Amino acid sequence: MLKGTMAYFKGLKTTAKYLFKKPVTIQYPDVKRPVRERFRGRHELKRFANGLERCIGCSLCAAACPADAIYVVPGQNDPAKPLSPGERHAAVYEINMLRCIFCGYCEDACPTNAIVLEHQYELSFYDRRSSIYTKDMLLVQPEDGYGEVPPVLEQTGRQLNPPAQIDL
Amino acid sequence: MPDEVTLTIDGQSVTVPKGTVVVEAARKIENLIPVFCYHPKMAPVGMCRMCLVKVGTPKVDRGTGKVELDTDGKPVIQMMPRLQTACTTPVSEGMVVVTKDAEVEHAQKGVLEALLTSHPLDCPVCDKGGECPLQNLTMGWGPGQSRFDYSDKVHFQKPIPLGDLIYLDRERCILCARCVRFQDEIAGDPVLGFDNRGRSWMIISKSDPAFDSKFSGNTTDICPVGALTSADFRFKARVWELQPVPTVCNHCPVGCNMTFDMRANEIMRVMPRENDAVNEIWICDRGRFAHHFVASPERLTTPLVRKNGKLQEASWEEALDLVARQLDGIRESAGGKAVGGLAGPSLANEDLFAFQRFFRETLGSPNIDCRPGTALDLPLDDFGAEYGLTSGTDLMQLGKGTVVLVFGADPEEEAPVHLLRIRNIAKRGGTLITINGRATKLDRFAEHTLHYRYGAETEVLAAMLKPLYDAVPPEGKRAALRGFGDLRGVLANASAERAVANAGVDGPTLEKINQALASATNLVIFYGQEALRAGTSVTAGLANILTLARKAGAPNSGLVALVPGANARGALDMGVRPDRGPGYSALKQPGMAAHEMFDAARQGRMKALYIAGLDPVQADPTLAEALKKVDLVVVQELFLTATAQLADVVFPVLSVAEREGTFTNAERRVQRFRQARRPVAPQRPDWQILQSLARQLSAEAVIAASANVSDKSRRQARRAEEQARKRTDWSYASPAEILMDIAASVPLYKHISYASLESALGVWGRKPNEAYYFDGTSYENTGGLGKQVPAGAENGGTLSLQPFNVRTFSQPAERPWKLIATPFLYDDSTLLNGSALLNNRKARPVAALNPADADSLGLKDGDVISIASGRGELRLSVQRTRLAPQGVVLVPLHVQGVPLVTVVEAGVTAVAIRRAEG
Ligand code: SF4
Ligand code: SF4
Ligand code: SF4
Ligand code: SF4
Ligand code: FES
Repeated sequence: MLKGTMAYFKGLKTTAKYLFKKPVTIQYPDVKRPVRERFRGRHELKRFANGLERCIGCSLCAAACPADAIYVVPGQNDPAKPLSPGERHAAVYEINMLRCIFCGYCEDACPTNAIVLEHQYELSFYDRRSSIYTKDMLLVQPEDGYGEVPPVLEQTGRQLNPPAQIDL
Repeated sequence: MPDEVTLTIDGQSVTVPKGTVVVEAARKIENLIPVFCYHPKMAPVGMCRMCLVKVGTPKVDRGTGKVELDTDGKPVIQMMPRLQTACTTPVSEGMVVVTKDAEVEHAQKGVLEALLTSHPLDCPVCDKGGECPLQNLTMGWGPGQSRFDYSDKVHFQKPIPLGDLIYLDRERCILCARCVRFQDEIAGDPVLGFDNRGRSWMIISKSDPAFDSKFSGNTTDICPVGALTSADFRFKARVWELQPVPTVCNHCPVGCNMTFDMRANEIMRVMPRENDAVNEIWICDRGRFAHHFVASPERLTTPLVRKNGKLQEASWEEALDLVARQLDGIRESAGGKAVGGLAGPSLANEDLFAFQRFFRETLGSPNIDCRPGTALDLPLDDFGAEYGLTSGTDLMQLGKGTVVLVFGADPEEEAPVHLLRIRNIAKRGGTLITINGRATKLDRFAEHTLHYRYGAETEVLAAMLKPLYDAVPPEGKRAALRGFGDLRGVLANASAERAVANAGVDGPTLEKINQALASATNLVIFYGQEALRAGTSVTAGLANILTLARKAGAPNSGLVALVPGANARGALDMGVRPDRGPGYSALKQPGMAAHEMFDAARQGRMKALYIAGLDPVQADPTLAEALKKVDLVVVQELFLTATAQLADVVFPVLSVAEREGTFTNAERRVQRFRQARRPVAPQRPDWQILQSLARQLSAEAVIAASANVSDKSRRQARRAEEQARKRTDWSYASPAEILMDIAASVPLYKHISYASLESALGVWGRKPNEAYYFDGTSYENTGGLGKQVPAGAENGGTLSLQPFNVRTFSQPAERPWKLIATPFLYDDSTLLNGSALLNNRKARPVAALNPADADSLGLKDGDVISIASGRGELRLSVQRTRLAPQGVVLVPLHVQGVPLVTVVEAGVTAVAIRRAEG
C-alpha cells in the first residue's frame, strides 16, 4: 500500500520538474517555427531576372518523380511573346500535393532550376481536388525572378556567332 | 555454298550471304555496331563514320594465289591499315572484324565528340529526346566529356519549316542524309537535298510546295536526331509518357499497322508498327496526321431524334425504342423488303457482319449495299477475292522473276504505301509494268509504261490476252479452263496493231509487256478505281490474264483490287451487298443495290433506310429528295453529315480509336485494331446498336415462330424453332464473339480469330535491343501481324475464265472531251475532319486540262469552264497540267464544290467544254 503511494509521488516529481522548465511546445499557428535552409516544403516555379519563366516544359521533373505527382503539358512559345526562353514552355503544370512525398527529386532533375521545394509547409485541403496545385499557384511573381538566362536556353532568334562564321 | 561467306566478328564466326555489309553480319549475331547514317532499309553511304571497325582479310600469297598459313596452319590475317566503316564494307571469306578494342573505341569517342561539338544539347526541349539514337549512342559509346568550349557552338535560326508538316532544326542535324535518301530511294519524291558546304551545309526542300511528298512524316521517324520533327507532334508530350496502342489505319485499303500513342486519353501521335507483309516500317502522311477526327469537338455525342421537324437530343433507350418500333411496324405492314441498308467500307468486319445479319435475318430484307448509291458507285469487285493474292504472299519477299502489273490505278493517291512496296519489288529486280490512261508517279519506276486512250482499256487487254490465250497448249489444259471457248471469238480479231490503232499505245512496249507476262514466275496485278469504273470487262480481262498466265491460285501471284475504304474488302467478304451473302455465298433472292434503293425511295416504295458510315447526300445532294420520301431514315455516324442532317434518328458511334474490331485489307489480310481511348461521350460501337435493335425486334419474331408451328409436325416445329432461335440469337458480348460467329459461318474466315490475329511470330524486324540504335524508326509489332484469308482460286478445282468483251467507246461529235473522275488521297472525306494540317494538301476543286488543249480553247489557269455531259453540267476553274492527257479533263473525286455526280455517266463520260460566261 505504502509502496504504491510512493510511486505516485515519484511520478509527480517528474511532472513538478517540468513545471518550471521552459516549455518545448510551440503555439502553432500563433507561433511558427523557422525551418532549415534545405527544408523541402511546397514547390515554387521560379523565374529568371528578366521575368521569363524558368520552366521549359520538359517533363523531366515528372519523369523523375517517384510518386507520379507532376503533370506537365508542354506548349510552343510565341516568338513575339515568349513565356520562357527558347521554343517550349509548360502550358499546364500541376503537382498533386497529396501524392507528393517531398523527396526533392524533381528539383534535382530540373535542368533550369525552375522547380524548387520551398519552406511553406501549410498544405491542407478540404477536398482532394484542391490538393492539385496548378501553374498559377506555383509560379512566383515576375519581380521575384533571379539569374540570367544561360546561353543554352537562348534558342530562338539566334544568329551565327563569330567563331562559327569561319567556314571550314 | 558459293553465295555464302563466313567471317569472324569479335571471335564469333557468322555465315551470311555474299554482298552483306559488316554491320548486317554483326546484327545477325546481335553484335551492335553503332551507326547513324546506316539504315537497314536503305543503301549505305558511309557519311557519319560512327561505325568504324578494324577489318582484316586472309593474306594471299601473290605468287601462288593461295591463302598464306601460319605455323599453326591458320590463315595469316592482314589487318587493313586504317579503320573501316562497317556499314559500307562488304563481307568476304575469312574476314576478321574487331568491333571492340581501344583503337575502335577511341575512334567512336572521337566521332561522337566531334558530332556533339555542333550539337545544341537541347535534349530537354527536343521532341526526339527519349528515343534519340544520338542520346543513346552517346551514353553507350561517347566520351563522357567534351573538350569543346560551349560558347563556341554554331547557332542557327530555328526551327525552319520544311513544308507544312515537318520542321527542321539545323543545329541538331548531323547530316547523315537518311532523310534525303529516304525521299530519293524509298518515297521516290526526291524533294530534299543538301545545300552549301562546311558549316553552312544544310538540308533544304527543293520542291514547291515545300516538302511535297505523301511520305514526309517517315523522315521524322528515321532521323537519328531531333532535327526533323512533325508539326503535329511538336511539343505535344515526351515520348516516354506515351502509351502506344496497336491499331490499323482506317483510311485506305493498304491497312497499315500503326500505333496510337496515347496520353491522358488523347492521341498524341501516330507511329508505324513494323509489319513486313503490309507496310514494312512506313506509313503515309494521311495515316499519320489525319487522326484528329477522333477528338474532334464536332463528333456526335448523343442520339438525336427528330421532333417537330428538328433533330433533338434523346436518350439511347428512347432512340432505340423508337427505331425498333417503327421498323417493326414497317416490317409488319410493308414487309422487310421495304427496308434498305447501306453500310460503309470503313466499318469493321464485326459491324458489317452484324449489319447483314440484322437485315437478312432480323428484318428479312435483302436490300443491303456498301456503296452510297450515286452515279459514282464502283461495281462490286469479286475478282480481288476470287483471284486475289494467294495467302502467304509477302510482297516484301518478291523481286526477281516477279512481274507487277498496275492497271488503271494511281497507287500514290489510292493506296500510298503500296506505291513504296511496288517500287521496292522493282528495286529488288522485279519487272514493273504500269498501264494507265494518264501519267502517274509509279510510271517513273516502271520498266514498261503504256498510256491508253480512255475508253479503250479492253482493246489493250485483248492484245495482252491474245498471245497468252494462244499459248495455252491444246491438249487437256484448255478443257481445264471453263469458258475457254467463249473467249475465242472475242479475241479472234485482237492484235497488237489493233490496240496501237484504237488505244493509241506504243506497239513495241506492248510487245515487251507481253513477253514479260509470258515469262513471269510470279504475277501480281494491281488495279484501282479507274479500272473498276471502266466496267467489269476490264477487271475480268485482268483476271483472265492471271488465269491464262497460269498464275491463278499460284504462290506469290494474284490480283489486288484497290477498292476505296479501309475495309472495302471486308464489306464484300461479309456480304454487305445485294447479290451475295457472307463469303460470296449465293443468295436465293438478290436485293436492291444502293441506287435502286434510292430509286425505290423516290417512288415511295422504300419505307425505311438505315445508313451506317456512309454519306450519300454529301456525294449527291439530289438524293436528299429521295430521303425525304422515306418514312424512317436512321443514320449511324461519327459526325452530323449531310445525310445525318436529314435523318429521323441519328446514332452516335465510337471511332476506330475507341473500340475493338478487325479490318480486311486489299491483300485480304485480316487485322485487328484495339481500343486506345476511353469514350468521352455515350457513343456506342456500330455492332452494339444493331444488336440492341435486333434484340427488341427478335423478341416478337420468336413468339411469331412458335405460334406458327402449332399445325405442323413436331419435327418440323422443332426445326423451325431451332432456326428461329439461331436467327434471333443476338448475344454478342464483344466483337471477338462476332468474329467467332464469322469464323463459324463464313468458310473463308474459318481460321480467323482474335488469337490468330495477335500472333507476332515471324516478324523479321528488330532483334532484341536493337531499338537502342534504330530508335524512333517505328515500333516493334507487339499487336499481331494479322492473317490472310485464302483466295477463291486457291481451293483448286476448275479455273474459269471470266466473260470478257472488247468495248469501243464512241462519243458524239458535240461532246468531244472525255471526263475522268480522279481519286485523291487528301479529299474531303469526313475522316479528314479536324486535321487542319493537311488542308493545304487537299485536292482543289479544279478541272485539269492539258496545256495544249487549254490553248486550243484559249483558256488560262483559273478560267471558269462549263463541263456538260448528257446528264448535266458542272462549272470549275481550269488548271493547266501536263498530267492530263490530251482530250481528257480530269476532275477530282470527293471534293467539296465539285458536283461530279451530276455529270458522270460511266467510267468515261463524253463531255462538251466551253468557257463559262460570267
Ligand atoms: S518532391 Fe518528389 S514526390 Fe514531390 S513532386 Fe517532386 S519528385 Fe515528386
Ligand atoms: S520544372 Fe524543370 S524539369 Fe519540370 S518541366 Fe519545368 S523545366 Fe522541366
Ligand atoms: S535532318 Fe535528320 S535525317 Fe536528315 S540529314 Fe539531318 S540528321 Fe540526318
Ligand atoms: S497508306 Fe493507307 S493505310 Fe497506310 S497509312 Fe496511308 S492511308 Fe493509312
Ligand atoms: S558511316 Fe557507317 S553508319 Fe554512318
